[in-house]
Amino acid sequence: MEISSLKLKNYRNFADYEINFNSVGALISGKNGVGKTNLLEAIAYFAFGKSFNTNQDEELINFSKAFFHISAKFNLKNRVYQFDVGCDKNRKNIKIDGKNISKISELYQFLKIIYFSPNDIRIIDGSPSLRRIFINQATAQYSFNYLDSLRRYKHILKQRNSILKTNFDTSEKKIWDQQFFKSAIEIIKIRIDYLQKFSPILAEKYFQISGEREKLKTKYLFSFPQKLESIEENFSEQMKKNEHQEKIQQRSLIGPHLDDIDFEIDDKSARKYASQGQKRSLAIAVRFVQADLILKKGNEPPILMFDDVLADLDRDRVGEIIQMLEKNHQIFIATPNATIYQNYELPIVKLEGFSE
Amino acid sequence: MFSGLLEELVQNLKKLPGIGTKSAERLAMFIVNMEKEKAHELADSIKETVDSYTNCIVCNVLSENEICEFCGALNRDEHLLCVVENTQDVYLIEKMHEFNGKYFVLGNLLSPIDGIGPQQIYFSKLKELVKSAKIKEIILALNPSAEGESTINFIASQLENVEITRLSVGLPFGGDIEYTSSMTLSSAFKRRFSVTE
Repeated sequence: MEISSLKLKNYRNFADYEINFNSVGALISGKNGVGKTNLLEAIAYFAFGKSFNTNQDEELINFSKAFFHISAKFNLKNRVYQFDVGCDKNRKNIKIDGKNISKISELYQFLKIIYFSPNDIRIIDGSPSLRRIFINQATAQYSFNYLDSLRRYKHILKQRNSILKTNFDTSEKKIWDQQFFKSAIEIIKIRIDYLQKFSPILAEKYFQISGEREKLKTKYLFSFPQKLESIEENFSEQMKKNEHQEKIQQRSLIGPHLDDIDFEIDDKSARKYASQGQKRSLAIAVRFVQADLILKKGNEPPILMFDDVLADLDRDRVGEIIQMLEKNHQIFIATPNATIYQNYELPIVKLEGFSE
Repeated sequence: MFSGLLEELVQNLKKLPGIGTKSAERLAMFIVNMEKEKAHELADSIKETVDSYTNCIVCNVLSENEICEFCGALNRDEHLLCVVENTQDVYLIEKMHEFNGKYFVLGNLLSPIDGIGPQQIYFSKLKELVKSAKIKEIILALNPSAEGESTINFIASQLENVEITRLSVGLPFGGDIEYTSSMTLSSAFKRRFSVTE
């Protein structure tokens, strides 16, 4: 999979910008503040239907303009697809080959982009909600229907929470409990299924990166105790136990919206005990595994984007990581210092500052 | 932008579904520029229709008469009752020319977020109807959304001595298995049927 051309109009600091890419990718260089991240953000917009930096599309519109429009051509499975996003303050329109899409999951089915962010370290040591965002996005890229199931779950959760806020009729609540249960179990199972594929590959990759010294485990942390045999039994058991408390707190106290994952290095929680260096390598390994699984499943290498993440690692490690890449990924690297990557033969795109 | 009566018309048109400010303004300008006679015809037609339509006292279908054409029909199977969310759904089902039973309109689906519980749908009326009429099967033709599912399960849990069915959920014609949700696909599998059917 690759992007062959990109057009930006009123997007962030780009008033009018057009560029073609070749199949290996590009090294995007330029001083701080010229818009390197913005360029990567625009490319990734097509894969996720939103920015990886903000949920407010309005922030993406160039200062003092009324709308932004971005378009790109992607080659996948030997065909060219035209993608368009137009957005003003009230609405946005996303088109594939000139046809409006009806839901964001259609983009997930098409485009796979892995963005290595300088903030990825927060997946390891940040709040559980950041890990949930990670697991949701990674699972959605891998499993076609996950996003729709997740949307449904969130919707049912909202309905159930609002019934808990009223003086409800037990028979009515029971109906919502059943749906909540079904939908929660569905989400948990798809996630665990993903983690079962994810975890051994991550262990292997991390073992490599750590110079074959450290053992890594990935664990799914349930928001309810695991005493009985099946997830279903445990979940419904705890739902019964929580009944009184949920009435008092007026919200659902267990479910995938409260579950978490934990990475353990040599049986110790990375979130609590890992060093900065360990966390940084682990975060990069996590993204690689995400890419690896997509490649294995669809036989179509996802686009990889590195936003200044390799700069902090020493040169040997950068070399090792670049070697871990399958040759056929299209790669974008954004960096203020192009010289460290001069061995990697990527065409250089130099962004110039705008009149200051 | 507009003022006086014209602005009032714009505001009124905006209450229609799918009509925003711009469309409302365009429509309002169009209406005031129409031949007076045609415009009056439109206004009268709206007024007359609104005045003469009311909910059927038996099934809640919007109808010109107190008892709608479906409840009043003698050639319809009164053992079959199709429960739908609104009158529009009734006409969709009629278009299919397959169903010849009676209808019942709930008016809404259960949705705690919107404050809609069993009292806000015509559930007790449905319960009375099922008790008094000779209904053998209730077909719940409701959306397979979270709200629809809840309404289906609620009705099924509250009614006795009658067969309750729901519409099948599965692959759409012209669909693609690859892009079908696992819930839909599993439902399609459970309810698979013989190819000779």
